[in-house]
Amino acid sequence: MKIIVCLKQVPKNDSILRINDQGNWIQDRDLTYEINESDAYGLEAALQLKEKQGGEVIALSLGPARVQSVIKEALARGADRGIHLEDPAFDKLDAYGIAAVISAAAKAEGFDLLLTGLQSDDYGFAQTGVIAAELLGLPHATIVMDVQPGDGSLRVKRELENGYFQWVSMPAPAVLTIQSGINTLRYATLKGIMGAKKKEIKKLDVTALGIDKAALAPRMEFLRVYVPQKSKQTQFIEGSPAEIAASLMEKLRNEARVF
Amino acid sequence: MERDSLEVDVLFVGAGPASLAGAMRLRQLINKHNEEAEANGGKKLDEITIAVIEKGREVGSHMISGAVMDIRPLEELLPDFRERGAPLESEVTVEDVSYLTRRFKIRSPIIPPPLDNHGKYVVSLNKLIRWLGPIVEESDVMLIPEFPGAEMLYDGDRVIGVRTGDKGVGKDGEEKDNFAPGADIFAKVTVLGEGSRGSLTKKHVERLKLDEGRNPQVYAAGVKEIWELPKGRVTPGFVMHTLGYPLPNDTFGGGFVYGMQNDLLDIGLVVGLDYQDPFTDPHRLFQQFKQHPAIAKMLEGGKMLYYGAKTIPEGGLFSQPKYYGDGFLIIGDSASFLNSQKLKGIHMAMKSGMLAAEAILEALVADRYDNETLRKFETLVRESFVHKELYEVRNFHQAFRHGRRWGLIESGLQYLTGGFGLLGDLETEAGHEKMKKLHVFNRMPKRSGEVPEPEPVKYDNQITFDKVTDVYRSGTEHDEDQPSHLKILDFNICINRCTQEYGNPCQYFCPAAVYEVEESGGGRKPKINFSNCVHCKTCDISDPYQIIDWVTPEGGGGPNYINL
Ligand SMILES: Cc1cc2nc3c(=O)[nH]c(=O)nc-3n(C[C@H](O)[C@H](O)[C@H](O)COP(=O)(O)OP(=O)(O)OC[C@H]3O[C@@H](n4cnc5c(N)ncnc54)[C@H](O)[C@@H]3O)c2cc1C
Ligand code: SF4
Repeated sequence: MKIIVCLKQVPKNDSILRINDQGNWIQDRDLTYEINESDAYGLEAALQLKEKQGGEVIALSLGPARVQSVIKEALARGADRGIHLEDPAFDKLDAYGIAAVISAAAKAEGFDLLLTGLQSDDYGFAQTGVIAAELLGLPHATIVMDVQPGDGSLRVKRELENGYFQWVSMPAPAVLTIQSGINTLRYATLKGIMGAKKKEIKKLDVTALGIDKAALAPRMEFLRVYVPQKSKQTQFIEGSPAEIAASLMEKLRNEARVF
Repeated sequence: MERDSLEVDVLFVGAGPASLAGAMRLRQLINKHNEEAEANGGKKLDEITIAVIEKGREVGSHMISGAVMDIRPLEELLPDFRERGAPLESEVTVEDVSYLTRRFKIRSPIIPPPLDNHGKYVVSLNKLIRWLGPIVEESDVMLIPEFPGAEMLYDGDRVIGVRTGDKGVGKDGEEKDNFAPGADIFAKVTVLGEGSRGSLTKKHVERLKLDEGRNPQVYAAGVKEIWELPKGRVTPGFVMHTLGYPLPNDTFGGGFVYGMQNDLLDIGLVVGLDYQDPFTDPHRLFQQFKQHPAIAKMLEGGKMLYYGAKTIPEGGLFSQPKYYGDGFLIIGDSASFLNSQKLKGIHMAMKSGMLAAEAILEALVADRYDNETLRKFETLVRESFVHKELYEVRNFHQAFRHGRRWGLIESGLQYLTGGFGLLGDLETEAGHEKMKKLHVFNRMPKRSGEVPEPEPVKYDNQITFDKVTDVYRSGTEHDEDQPSHLKILDFNICINRCTQEYGNPCQYFCPAAVYEVEESGGGRKPKINFSNCVHCKTCDISDPYQIIDWVTPEGGGGPNYINL
């Protein structure tokens, strides 16, 4: 089975965030990064499938040079090779643009399964995998917790609300977006780290992928990012219990207008 | 799962300035040797592998310092450091040395020569190491973060390598699904560059009695924050050092404030860990320092971004262990290569690493790695500025043991007499032996059974923060499902003796709120929030009974320091 896993590099979970001077995103100075949480579970799911079924796991990441560390981490954990999608034109993509680039690369590579995380920890659109499936004309399933490959088909377990699950069958190849916490992440071993140095990371840009830059123009734009304003207020009412009660009633009626 | 093993030629433990400079220098020297051998028909060295293991998640994530840096070793190692974009904040531009009383700041009209930082640079060691790491890696050195050295490997007493920590062990010691045993890394020479109070170094020094006949090491704890101030307020290269408030007269230390780029201000307090009062709390003293009118004014309108804490070995020359032997060398803070008077260790660490590299090259050429061959390191140190600096300030910290006033006079005399002072060469006591019991401070509880406690403090969340808030700003994380890496050898002592004798000082000296004592069901029970631990090593040093053993947690755990 040939599995491509999409890995996004995101600012580390509890980073101290500061808003940039333009006020439309966070400052990237002084950030440290990690693999997007649900993507890491996607990688583990892929490695476990490979252990059972044989085949190949390809770690794919889109972004500037720094995202190579994510690919290297995946190689150290057991992925067979990497694909790094890097081009100045990929700098400010929206979910559609990212999905367009990823699907072009995946199509050129060929695969049985394309895995993404459920959503990214920074933008949280939960769109990339779904749009990629659309662009590739393939079936997809979201919030996937378990994958059971059959002959040319798949059975996958999806998470629904309130503790309900759903099993879905679909033809392969397909695109799945993976839920966090569905397996136990493995550690990179020292041998794995040494071995990773010898594994190939293919770099692809707009030209190599044959993408029309104009098609990547963002359809969506961030206008403003801000810290939520505190609207909660606390007042202390003083006096005798009777006075407090009267004052509280007055405030509830006239200021808070709850009656 | 089988234990991995790996053979390298030279293994550095800890990716601090000492190891990184050492590993890179060694690669440079090997390349030079081979070029010369090629030209002269001499014997080339075969492929030599150099590896550096680091406990942090990334190279740099555990880096914290002041710092004002003497950049000579950086120039020597990487003459084109500027072109490569070394992130120096600024050359020192403005200097201020002041004495603080509770309410006033008295600026010294002259900069006392030992504190003169002319020509030095304000740097963030964290940024510097995050920048240097990839350069070292490019020079063909393997950097392996998330692999703490957990145990030394010996053949008899000869060091043959290091075993890294297990991963995937649950909190009761059980193996989890993803259990991965530590790897054995074998090396011809193992170089310990673990920084202050290295956990391998401690046990190794004990085993081989490398500190026999030396003074015990004395330490200080540094607690610091990085603040972002309104645009334009911070002068990069501004350097201020303070003495006096809030430290009691019998406590060594002082404050520092350094101006960085991008409106960041670096502010911290260093507190000698050879204090007497068991309620001494470096984090709390740091909060008081920030409340001093002169300091609070600087911070007005600013926002605290990052926090961190770490110990500093202050014992100097006479506290150095024997730092070479069969199969091993010890460099940087781990071997007390630090100028305690100037509170500068980065250049000493780097240079000691680079000198170690020279000694290792000779060993590789001779293909001999025994005590006699590696002694060369000591010879090289003695011929270098490292020894000269250590020698000049050899009695500095010791001069403070009779209190600050006396210390200032004695250290002044030392400066004039080339380090000798009035008292001659001085001895030290280990810090934990100086801690006095509660009754000495009249702090015994009024009624028996009551537990003595210091006065509570209020934090305003503007200028002062409690430990938990601060720890959040250090980015510290440990997988909670692992055994605590703070090994308490005997819990009975905590409850039965320490409570009454010292009032459980671990609650106060730990800058990360790791230690708590819980009242439960009428009894007291220590609680260890190990996931808060910022790896400063204070507890390992200051516990009066020496029953806390700091060992490495699962690789990747610990702070994620930025800009510190
Ligand atoms: C608050 C403060 C202010 C300071 N101010 C200055 C200053 O102004 N100027 C100056 O020059 N110096 C200053 N210093 C001192 C300076 O930071 C140190 O001397 C220097 O960092 C020592 O370098 P090192 O490489 O020996 O150790 P470290 O920098 O401590 O590096 C050791 C590395 O080893 C890793 N490690 C430790 N144990 C293990 C293990 N078992 N396995 C794997 N990895 C391990 C650690 O995570 C760390 O990354 C200051 C220090 C502090 C704490
Ligand atoms: S537990 Fe020990 S090493 Fe960890 S932060 Fe507290 S004092 Fe420092």
